[in-house]
Amino acid sequence: MSDPVLKINHLTMQFGGVVAVDNFSMHINSGEIVALIGPNGAGKTTAFNAVTGVYTPTSGTINLLGQNITGNRPDQITKLGIARTFQNIRLFSSMTVFENVLTAHHLRKTSNIFTATLRLNASEERKMREDTDALLRKVDLYDLRDEIATSLPYGKQRLLEIVRALATRPKLLLLDEPAAGMNPQETDELGAFIRRIRDEFDLTIFIIEHHMNLVMEISDRIYVIEFGKQIAEGTPSEIQNNEAVIAAYLGGDDL
Amino acid sequence: MSNTTQKKTLSKEQILSAVIVLVFYVAVFIAEQTIPSTSMLFTVLKKGATYALVAVSMNLLNGFTGIFSLGQAGFMLIGAYVYAIFTIPLAQRASVYQYYNGGIVQTTLPVFIAMILAGLVAAFFAFLIGLPVLRLKSDYLAVATLGFAEIIRAVFQWDKIGPLTNGSNMLRLFPTFNDFNIRNASGEVTIYLSTLVPLLISGVCIALIVLLINSTFGRALRAIKDDEIAAEAMGIRLSSHKQLAFCISSFFTGVGGAMLAMYQTTVQAKSFTTAMTYEILLIVVIGGIGSVTGSCISSFLFVACSEWWLRFLDQKHMIGNFEVPLLRNGFRLVVFSVIIMIVVLFFRQGIMGTRELPDLFRKRPTDRKKGRGIKA
Ligand SMILES: Nc1ncnc2c1ncn2[C@@H]1O[C@H](COP(=O)(O)OP(=O)(O)OP(=O)(O)O)[C@@H](O)[C@H]1O
Ligand SMILES: [Mg+2]
Repeated sequence: MSDPVLKINHLTMQFGGVVAVDNFSMHINSGEIVALIGPNGAGKTTAFNAVTGVYTPTSGTINLLGQNITGNRPDQITKLGIARTFQNIRLFSSMTVFENVLTAHHLRKTSNIFTATLRLNASEERKMREDTDALLRKVDLYDLRDEIATSLPYGKQRLLEIVRALATRPKLLLLDEPAAGMNPQETDELGAFIRRIRDEFDLTIFIIEHHMNLVMEISDRIYVIEFGKQIAEGTPSEIQNNEAVIAAYLGGDDL
Repeated sequence: MSNTTQKKTLSKEQILSAVIVLVFYVAVFIAEQTIPSTSMLFTVLKKGATYALVAVSMNLLNGFTGIFSLGQAGFMLIGAYVYAIFTIPLAQRASVYQYYNGGIVQTTLPVFIAMILAGLVAAFFAFLIGLPVLRLKSDYLAVATLGFAEIIRAVFQWDKIGPLTNGSNMLRLFPTFNDFNIRNASGEVTIYLSTLVPLLISGVCIALIVLLINSTFGRALRAIKDDEIAAEAMGIRLSSHKQLAFCISSFFTGVGGAMLAMYQTTVQAKSFTTAMTYEILLIVVIGGIGSVTGSCISSFLFVACSEWWLRFLDQKHMIGNFEVPLLRNGFRLVVFSVIIMIVVLFFRQGIMGTRELPDLFRKRPTDRKKGRGIKA
């Protein structure tokens, strides 16, 4: 069997006295959609930040397709094939929808500052722009192409963040609460959208989400953490019937 | 939508803008041949061209990359000195470096080569201090670059390196803007170019900066300004891109320093004060942080006000027997400061906000101005 796309071994992430993630291990196989759930402050976003290099783990290792990426910079990790969205949307606020997605093509440029300034990279630039337009068409955002990204409705902004991440051509896509702030209809569409991009872009997806309906519908497997520690792992039906999970989490009003 | 076709050729607005710039240059050329060369107009245009280049370079950092650097005077000083040191004619070195036996540099470079060298040396210094300084967060970075400029100013006056810099003495007798005029055999000027050439040099440099801003690297810089964490997550390496912006900005600031040397006709380290950096910063703020066009327009307005239009405030005026109150030496600076405070307090977007010249001709007022924040 080939290496899992993502493998986290005994990850611990400590901030001063707070242990946000505590000896957490997991893996995601190619093509899977895996969810990470848990109560507020459980350490989910922190785990994402450790995987994407925003934080350097206190201990533990992170492997992407068998390669140890622990301690790499965020931009290196993105180039290696992990893209992400943010819980609190982080679009480029001075840019249009088009420019936001176009900027995500920068990491594949072959031009340098001189060739780019003197427009000797015109064909590459044209290709970037065409690819951006093609991607926007594919995900039905082309009509909003020239709008300032942060002026879009909330749900569209979440969608755009996913599309911008896709433009880096990741192998693994990390989504941090993509349904937050979406209305029920948008949430339904999001589920279908995530499945669709998984298939069309050959992705493996790691998702943090509080909408249980969405999680149960799209996930192949689910990890549950509380206080940074794993309390359960399994298929959606296994998780729904897990006593510890129900006690810690699903019993609450999140369901 | 016609967007895809628009990308390939120039848009109507861009062509119109190019025509305006061209008309400006032609008008300057004609004015130079017809108006006496002592007119304040030319002083303003020459100094304005110099300040415009430095202001646009600063805007590249503050407005487009989000690096709040205050080292401008230092990099201008480096540029001015490199230019002066390498262009003083050999025959004049003995008199310029009279306390240092004619100095140690005994080569004279062509003017344009020396200007490029001025930029390169400034960029090299930027590279060296960029390594530690660019890691700092905004306020600390501002203080560190300000400190750098002060140190440079002191070091260049240091007696021990006098054979190179002429210590605290003036550098002079190097080629100035007036040497761009074309003269006949008997030394009379046949074609006046002393204003047009600096405007052209500045124009070419600013055009290069605009091309950079609109390239994929420019987008990466804007991404960094908007959100560093998101930029990194898009695969943009922060340190190298900031370093790049810092060096390029300093390169053009160095070229601007060389132009200032030519404008002033003499160079002395002690005149490159923090106040000079603040002037440039004000120009950027008044023009609009994030607008190249704004920086250019406000440079000329700023220079015109400080050197020309507000001069009358410094002189006593009599209406009949009545002496107009307040008008006396120094009052100009008071009025000037008040104008600046009004702009900063009530017109924070500056003259242009983040719009550029072509945006002014678009029917739908561009939606950019909402987007780009103006706070550095
Ligand atoms: N940079 C940091 N410095 C200090 N503490 C931090 C930092 N980042 C996260 N924490 C702490 O780590 C814990 C886990 O936070 P995290 O954001 O990972 O939770 P989460 O599971 O994503 O919660 P939510 O569902 O609310 O998004 C919290 O107690 C938080 O305060
Ligand atoms: Mg979170």
